[in-house]
Amino acid sequence: MALATNYEREFQMISDVYEKSGGDASRFLNKEIVSVIVSGDKLIGRNTVDGVNLKFRQIEDGIELWIDIEDGVKLKQPVHLCTGFLKERGRQTILIHNRCGKNSEVKFLSHCVFPYGLEFTHKMIADTYVGEGSKLSYEDVHFHSDTGGVSVEAIYNTRLSKGADFGNFFNLTQGRVGKLRVKMIVDLDDEASAQIESKVYARADDEVHITEELNLNGKHSSGLARTIVFATEKSRATIINRAYGNAPYSRGHIECKEIIKGYGVNVGTVPVLFVKDEKAELTHEASIGRVNLKQLETLMAKGLNEDEATEMIIRGLLR
Amino acid sequence: MLELKSISLERDDTNIIKDLSAVFYEGKVYAVLGNNGVGKSTLAYIIMGLESYRDYTGSVLWDGRVINGLSVPERARLGITLGWQEPCRFDGITVKEYLTLGEKKQFSIEKLVSTLDVVGLPRDYLSRTVDSSLSGGERKRIELASVILMEPRLVVLDEPDSGIDLMSTNMIQRVFNSLSGNGTTLIVITHREEIAEMTEEAYLMCGGNMLKNGDPQEIIAYYRTACDNCKHVNEPLKGVN
Ligand SMILES: Nc1ncnc2c1ncn2[C@@H]1O[C@H](COP(=O)(O)OP(=O)(O)OP(=O)(O)O)[C@@H](O)[C@H]1O
Ligand SMILES: [Mg+2]
Repeated sequence: MALATNYEREFQMISDVYEKSGGDASRFLNKEIVSVIVSGDKLIGRNTVDGVNLKFRQIEDGIELWIDIEDGVKLKQPVHLCTGFLKERGRQTILIHNRCGKNSEVKFLSHCVFPYGLEFTHKMIADTYVGEGSKLSYEDVHFHSDTGGVSVEAIYNTRLSKGADFGNFFNLTQGRVGKLRVKMIVDLDDEASAQIESKVYARADDEVHITEELNLNGKHSSGLARTIVFATEKSRATIINRAYGNAPYSRGHIECKEIIKGYGVNVGTVPVLFVKDEKAELTHEASIGRVNLKQLETLMAKGLNEDEATEMIIRGLLR
Repeated sequence: MLELKSISLERDDTNIIKDLSAVFYEGKVYAVLGNNGVGKSTLAYIIMGLESYRDYTGSVLWDGRVINGLSVPERARLGITLGWQEPCRFDGITVKEYLTLGEKKQFSIEKLVSTLDVVGLPRDYLSRTVDSSLSGGERKRIELASVILMEPRLVVLDEPDSGIDLMSTNMIQRVFNSLSGNGTTLIVITHREEIAEMTEEAYLMCGGNMLKNGDPQEIIAYYRTACDNCKHVNEPLKGVN
């Protein structure tokens, strides 16, 4: 890993929170692992391997980043991205362009850590292109301050070529959310498949907006869009899952589960299914309600109290 | 130790449990026999105190004290538990976490493995998830293992053999032995004679009531002759007995 000069201290601080959010900071020092570390509007560290090209540009309040994966590159270790902001106030903008060639295989493990944000806005746009027959997954884990003063907008636009396989996972289950807007949009070509999923634990007066969209444009393309939100106290959540069956034999399933606890919650979901081809098939499943009573009573009959049982069930669901 | 006094429960204007009384003594193994729909599971839920079954009338007594007002966790703390007829699934929870209640209970790996062995599952099940990837029979076995690990004072096992291979009566016997070995009182709900034969005393349920109780062999014989061919649904025939 090439550490930019004078950033050792910042690197150390980022590493500490990164570990707190469940990451393994030793990975950043591993020469075999592709990694990028951004703190505030600075690139403080990066490493790459053969077949993966990185490019950067400084932009206002942030970094623009290009990750280019050549044809036939199969990375054994995930690409590690860490985006941090260690001050209380400010803005951060991160623009990511991922391009994956043909028949490659790569996983991204991204952590966004904003542990002290009081009045902080983070905006991230990831545009991803996945070439023919390639497999790419992108997991984004967020860790925010417990003040509720963090606002995040995360947008993922993905284009899948023929036979590509894609996974997009967003996870914000530790600490407060603050204000969150997630948008995942995937366009699928023939025989491509995608699984997109968001899991969020909302507390206090957190606000959550999630949109997941599958455009099944290719023959035999298939997709699953899933959202699980646990909304407690006075939190609010609006979830929109959309699937468009535009090609023959395309199949899509959208699913939203909102589990609520507390009298002040305000949650809703809107499933959208549109079909433009007679041979397309779309389904949806949505539920809003308290933690399943039978599950709760099953654990309570073994001696857990209601809160412990709820916590155990939710931890499992959000995992 | 557990006494049910004139328990009744109404649903949709009918009494699904009707003035039911029964007594269960410490350390004994009981069978509750009865056809589909006579109210066996409902009785189990009333004993456990499930939220939607708390509107019964009559009294549930534990060591002589009325516990009608106690919730599920409170009854569990007294040592009462339930082995569900159809145990539910949990996404993202491993068998090990399930058995230890998310590490709330500290069991050694050896203890967990030997308990899985009682229910006929190998140790690699510890890392499986208690979701729909387990077969019905496997899930049921995990439930029995979890009941054994709790070392309850009383357990109602609701059809422990349902969904489990006919050949596994040995496993069921091992589960009973293991529980009784810890002094647990067992109330085993079943349709199967070979399961009822493993118990010390049997109750026969019909139409939300206990029709008869006594020696399991006698009750089984009665059940076979009277209930097998019985045409009435949920209503004890007048004059039978
Ligand atoms: N919530 C309810 N509302 C209306 N009727 C109910 C309700 N719960 C149970 N019942 C009815 O009460 C009766 C007893 O049900 P229960 O599940 O206790 O039977 P069971 O003896 O356990 O049957 P099985 O052998 O099939 O498990 C059934 O006729 C059932 O349909
Ligand atoms: Mg039943």
